[in-house]
Amino acid sequence: MSCHHYDHPHSRREFLRRAGCGFGAVALAALMRDNVLATEEGAPKPTAPSKFPDHVARAKNVIFLFMEGGPSHLDTFDRKPLLNELAGQGLPASFKAPITAMGESKSPLLACKRTWKQHGQSGLWISDWFNRVAEHADDLAIVHSCASDGINHAGGVCSMNTGSVFGGRPSLGAWVSYGLGSENQNLPGFVVIKDSEGTVVNGVRNWGSGFMPAVYQGVEFNVEGAPIKHLENPKGVTNARQREKLDLLAEFNREYGATRTDNTELEARIRGYELAYRMQAEAPAVVDLSKETEATKQLYGMDHEETAVFGRNCLLARRLVENGVRFVQLYSGAGSKWDSHKNIEPLHSKLCRSVDQPIAGLLSDLKMRGLLDETLVIWGGEFGRTPMSEQGDGRDHNPTGFTMWMAGGGVKGGQIFGATDDLGLYAVEDRLHVHDIHATILNLLGIDHTKLIYSHKGRPERIDQNEGHAYKKIVS
Amino acid sequence: MLGVGCSAFLLLSATAAFAADDDAQREANKFFESEVRPLLVKRCFECHGEKKQKGGLRADSIGALKTGGDNGPALVPGDPEKSPMIQGVRYADKDFQMPPKQKLPDAEIATLEKWIKMGAPWPQTEADKGKIVEGGFTEEQRNWWSFRPLAKVSPPEIASAWVRNDIDRFVAKKQAEMHLDPAPEADRRELVRRVYFDLHGLPPTPAQVEAFVNDKSPDAYEKLVDELLASPQYGERWAQHWLDLVRYAESDGYNADEYRPAVWPYRDWVIKSLNNDMPYNEFVRDQIAGDEIAPNDPNVLIATEYLRNPIYEWNQRDVRGQWEIILNDITDTSGELFLGLSFGCARCHNHKFDPILQKDYYRLKAFFAPVHWRDDLKLATPEQKAKYDEQEAKWEAATAEIRAQMDALTKPLVDKKVEHAVDKFTDDLQTIIRKPSGERDALETQLAGLCQRQMTKEEKTFDPMKSIKSEESKAKYKELETELKKFDSLKPTPLMDAFVATDASAKAPPTFMKSRKGEQEVAPGFLTLLAPGDPDIQPIGNSTGRRTALANWITRPDNQLSTRVIVNRVWQYHFGRGIVATASDFGKLGEKPVFPELLDWLAERFVAEGWSLKKLHREILLSATYRQTARRQATEVAAKLDPTNHLLWRFNPQRLDAEEVRDSMLEASGELDFKAGGPAEDGNSMRRSIYTMKKRNNQNELLRSLDAPAGFSSTAERQSTTTPTQALLLINGDWPIQRARKLAGRVEKLDDAWTYTLGRLPTAQEREQAEAFIKQRTGGASAHSTSGADAAENAGEFKENTPQERLLVQTPEKEGDEFTVESIFTLNSIDTAAAVRTIASRWTGGKDSLESFGWSLGVTGEKSRFKPRNLIIQLVGEDDNTNIAYEVIPSNVRIELGHRYHASATVSCIDHNVIFRVQDLTQPDAQPQTVTVPCSVRAKLSGGASSLVFGGLNKRAPQHQWDGRIEAVRIATGKLPEQELTSADPSKWKSALVNWTAALGPSTQFAWSGSDAKATEASDPYRQALNDLCQVLLNTNEFFYLH
Repeated sequence: MSCHHYDHPHSRREFLRRAGCGFGAVALAALMRDNVLATEEGAPKPTAPSKFPDHVARAKNVIFLFMEGGPSHLDTFDRKPLLNELAGQGLPASFKAPITAMGESKSPLLACKRTWKQHGQSGLWISDWFNRVAEHADDLAIVHSCASDGINHAGGVCSMNTGSVFGGRPSLGAWVSYGLGSENQNLPGFVVIKDSEGTVVNGVRNWGSGFMPAVYQGVEFNVEGAPIKHLENPKGVTNARQREKLDLLAEFNREYGATRTDNTELEARIRGYELAYRMQAEAPAVVDLSKETEATKQLYGMDHEETAVFGRNCLLARRLVENGVRFVQLYSGAGSKWDSHKNIEPLHSKLCRSVDQPIAGLLSDLKMRGLLDETLVIWGGEFGRTPMSEQGDGRDHNPTGFTMWMAGGGVKGGQIFGATDDLGLYAVEDRLHVHDIHATILNLLGIDHTKLIYSHKGRPERIDQNEGHAYKKIVS
Repeated sequence: MLGVGCSAFLLLSATAAFAADDDAQREANKFFESEVRPLLVKRCFECHGEKKQKGGLRADSIGALKTGGDNGPALVPGDPEKSPMIQGVRYADKDFQMPPKQKLPDAEIATLEKWIKMGAPWPQTEADKGKIVEGGFTEEQRNWWSFRPLAKVSPPEIASAWVRNDIDRFVAKKQAEMHLDPAPEADRRELVRRVYFDLHGLPPTPAQVEAFVNDKSPDAYEKLVDELLASPQYGERWAQHWLDLVRYAESDGYNADEYRPAVWPYRDWVIKSLNNDMPYNEFVRDQIAGDEIAPNDPNVLIATEYLRNPIYEWNQRDVRGQWEIILNDITDTSGELFLGLSFGCARCHNHKFDPILQKDYYRLKAFFAPVHWRDDLKLATPEQKAKYDEQEAKWEAATAEIRAQMDALTKPLVDKKVEHAVDKFTDDLQTIIRKPSGERDALETQLAGLCQRQMTKEEKTFDPMKSIKSEESKAKYKELETELKKFDSLKPTPLMDAFVATDASAKAPPTFMKSRKGEQEVAPGFLTLLAPGDPDIQPIGNSTGRRTALANWITRPDNQLSTRVIVNRVWQYHFGRGIVATASDFGKLGEKPVFPELLDWLAERFVAEGWSLKKLHREILLSATYRQTARRQATEVAAKLDPTNHLLWRFNPQRLDAEEVRDSMLEASGELDFKAGGPAEDGNSMRRSIYTMKKRNNQNELLRSLDAPAGFSSTAERQSTTTPTQALLLINGDWPIQRARKLAGRVEKLDDAWTYTLGRLPTAQEREQAEAFIKQRTGGASAHSTSGADAAENAGEFKENTPQERLLVQTPEKEGDEFTVESIFTLNSIDTAAAVRTIASRWTGGKDSLESFGWSLGVTGEKSRFKPRNLIIQLVGEDDNTNIAYEVIPSNVRIELGHRYHASATVSCIDHNVIFRVQDLTQPDAQPQTVTVPCSVRAKLSGGASSLVFGGLNKRAPQHQWDGRIEAVRIATGKLPEQELTSADPSKWKSALVNWTAALGPSTQFAWSGSDAKATEASDPYRQALNDLCQVLLNTNEFFYLH
């Protein structure tokens, strides 16, 4: 069987065959801070040229703030005076008519009702929907020229997470876990938290590991009760009883393994139960916010009802990153709530309010703790919205040009990158397709995305399906 | 991990030359293929290749580079500094700069330096790459092992007592060459367990184990193999392998992830075909072209479901783009599945490693280009259809008048809705949609078919009661509806929908290949390397005949790819690894066969024996090679020369597949239901896992955790992962715990726990450990009070761990999307976490599957986001985007513990709100509070799998259990006006869908569900310890592994 990793594929698989008959060992390796290559060769050799990270990178962790449903770039970070001038008219003939989800390519242009101001020393234009985030303007690297293939939520969310409009490929977080491993063996390396019980479009496969082993998949943390599914002992089972059970299991397994020492999967399973037991102890402590000060909670907006939920999630994200979780993805508006085909004013107002203070708080807090430099914060959705109106006061999906921003993690703050046309419909300058965005993120983590390869059915698979380029202008 | 890693590493570094050299060679080749060759192609070939040789130099073979051009050799292997090529790319000399236009990036220069430093390895057989023979392929490409015709081989003559059949001769010969020796035969217990799992995916029962172990006849094993092959469980196991390969699933796989209710007959067809030992060539032909082969035979037609497996989004407006994706998916999968080649790599360019031209991709795709996904066919014989039509005509005649009147009321409204859907498509698609179907060409037919689903959806979701405006017309419509119902007895039983495909017409749509040179139309054809010409294709009726031609070529007895591929797959499923380890990639990036002659011999024989899979299984299973034990540590020689057991000096240890684990747990607990075939059921069903619903976005949790594929792409080999979250699920999850409990329930003596789970008796040591474990438990535990026995006298009490936990309610019909729940209750406690104490529900507790559609009225717990003691209703249904939506509708009325309340909730998906009315009856002057809260769920609240329950959820869930009294509940369809909700005396409530009053005593409509075993268990430390022991055994490595 061919191996699944860059550079030493064959020998790694050989290693596994030798070790037993599958992936147990590697799965564990990934959990236990080793990156995959380190296990291949046993002892780490830091000077090896093909090691990850392959260049000095500042970002070690990622917090991805996913505004699900598609936030309007035109009303938040991408100011288009022409839009208001032409409001009410059709799209000028000089613009190519796009295929839109709801077929709104012929509808009149919708004016932006926001008040815009320039912020910080850098003077970035940001609308009043993000007044608090705007205080961090000088830390923001705003990319105006993002583009995706998905015109619907399903394709869009899948694409932003995996690079493909249809399921089956590993998500960005999985690639990162695969490339860099986890820093904390008692916690998953990739954690997902939603702001409501709503189902993110496509469900759990957004943070799935696709064709990679399940160990790289994201684990959803619940914010109420036990953070991970099945983390708590079954009802009525005390810790002592659980321990006794696991001890007996370990005894039986050791006896079985004693005459089968060449099968390391058996050992991996024994350790799997031990890790699970340790996770039972550690994970609840990480999500326990009782030790956080009131001031911190206020910073995140947890004292106001409308910002309390996302504020708490942002605070959790900081705690997770502090505790060695590599990739945290927070969903705002789980279940396409940012989708605003009509009534964009009230819908977006409410959602922007719910995230503005929490995100600003997160950036401040990370900075205060010296974590911002090593934590890449990413904001965006699966696409933006059209300059054309829909049903009079809404906007349709726009995957052909939209905004995402990054902060920390070694990006150049206080700058705009790329541009859309004068109406914000198409990305026209330094267009960054989702594949490029993924490559750029990996690059910021020190991974050359062309070398992070997983061999699947004879094909050397990369996150970008061999199409992406890391956007290096963004690196500070 | 480090411990494991290091010891394994030592092992690895200690291995001898055989493996290491092989590895180094592979590394070098890989480096060359992935880094160097692409670079040379991109940067050098234009001027130094086949067409041009500037400076007399060619850079397309190592020989040419070493020989060099006008200025002598271009490189000196091992010495970059002395290699002119390196000097050139470094731009060191102003007069000699290569490539002249622009300097290479530093990384590429470094690659060339590294390559030359390594000695400029150029894969050996590539040395004469320059020699391109006919058709643009090199000799080396033509000679690649998988493209060579099947060799006529005879089993080697071997004098060995070990050999049982011809397979062993090949294996023994190779082993002898490598100085390896085979492992001893597995003992009967190891063997019987292996062969049951292998052929049935199930463990043998204790009786089956003993029967085989004690069978003294010399052909005991042969008899066992024959018996297992003849059993229907064989098909249920081996169909799973095929379903993995064809990426079978029962839902669309996009966001809406619509269920495919008519897909399961294909799964049953696969099972049945395997059980009947249908020849593999026929099996393949039916799937590719069953509609052309026997269009009127539903048993053949269903096989073309194979063409329907791609994921798909019914509401996608980019219909053209989606159709391309679907066709590409069918092409990619078919290339891998039948031919073992990664065709997908050649979609955008000639394959980088294998002789698959970009054109070959489109030649293959063209066979599928006419495919039309049909929604109008039925799985029925012509006789059945005629009978159906006849009966339907009677019903139609009898109801024509009524339906015409109904149509008059609704048709304009439906048409408007449909028209609105049409308007959303781009202009070109609208034109196609509006064309009469007879005038559409093939592509237009295909596209219109896909568009049509969006219009059909509008028709299906049309709700006359919501759309008809005037009350008068509504009443009229209802009246007509009632009238129409009277004729239901005339209606024929519906025929099963056929989830199949045919061609759109006898004239195929064009297939275009896009390349840098532009767009070019491509006709169907096979792999150019093997069959460069145009195949003979004859239309069959209204079909192009293309797929029949393809199927015939794939199933030609001399097709070296398809025959090797299937034989190798079968070998892989038996041994855990194929003769070719990469079962779906026989190209250069895959692995080469370990026993090439054996592979060809098996393939030849397979065809000669009539493509019989069962004969092939038998041949393999009876070999001494298969019967070796897995319990053998590597000998010194084996550890050095073949540590990875390529040459089968023992049987490969294997972890059970997800389905095997689940089925084994059910078998151990005695719950396995062997019912075969039919619609899939959710994971709580006791049926075999192959019948578990396969929703791509909502896989069964246990199966997913154990690496069952989700069905997005063809899976040739299962992963075997181990994670802590998997351990958490197995040790704390409800489902595994239930199995342990049931298992404990059937254990009479300690030994039984072992025989049921592991098929053997415990060792003396294990018995001691288990006894000590139980003693520790029973000795230390204090006796629990028996609870709840006398609680029955109070008919309205609901409490955990009593016989009165929940009241299960049967209703003749469901309450629908507009209903009222009314109740009189007293609550004694709330959950200390965030769970909701439930008054009444129709809900599984799930939030993201169709089965979980439902609702639940209750009171929040301590840590709820909605603050404690909030009376809320939770809804799971469809929102406006037809996404699954879960929402909590809080009344924000706090329920005081110990107070008696009269409360109601009126839910309306039409008005998009819930009206709560709450009155505290303990306080005599308390005024009722009425609150209206908006909701966004639009439909399907009653569409889930749950039944109606009072005092809890569909499944027992203690944290959601009501604690206190519920004296009465009424559930009415529709919105009850407030004046009907004011009386706190249930005897005055009008009759509704459900009226229950505790004081009135039992009735057949209501059934108590209480804690039975669990109440006893909680009070019985021995039971509890036994449960835990059973759970431990179900989690052991021995249970999960065949080793």
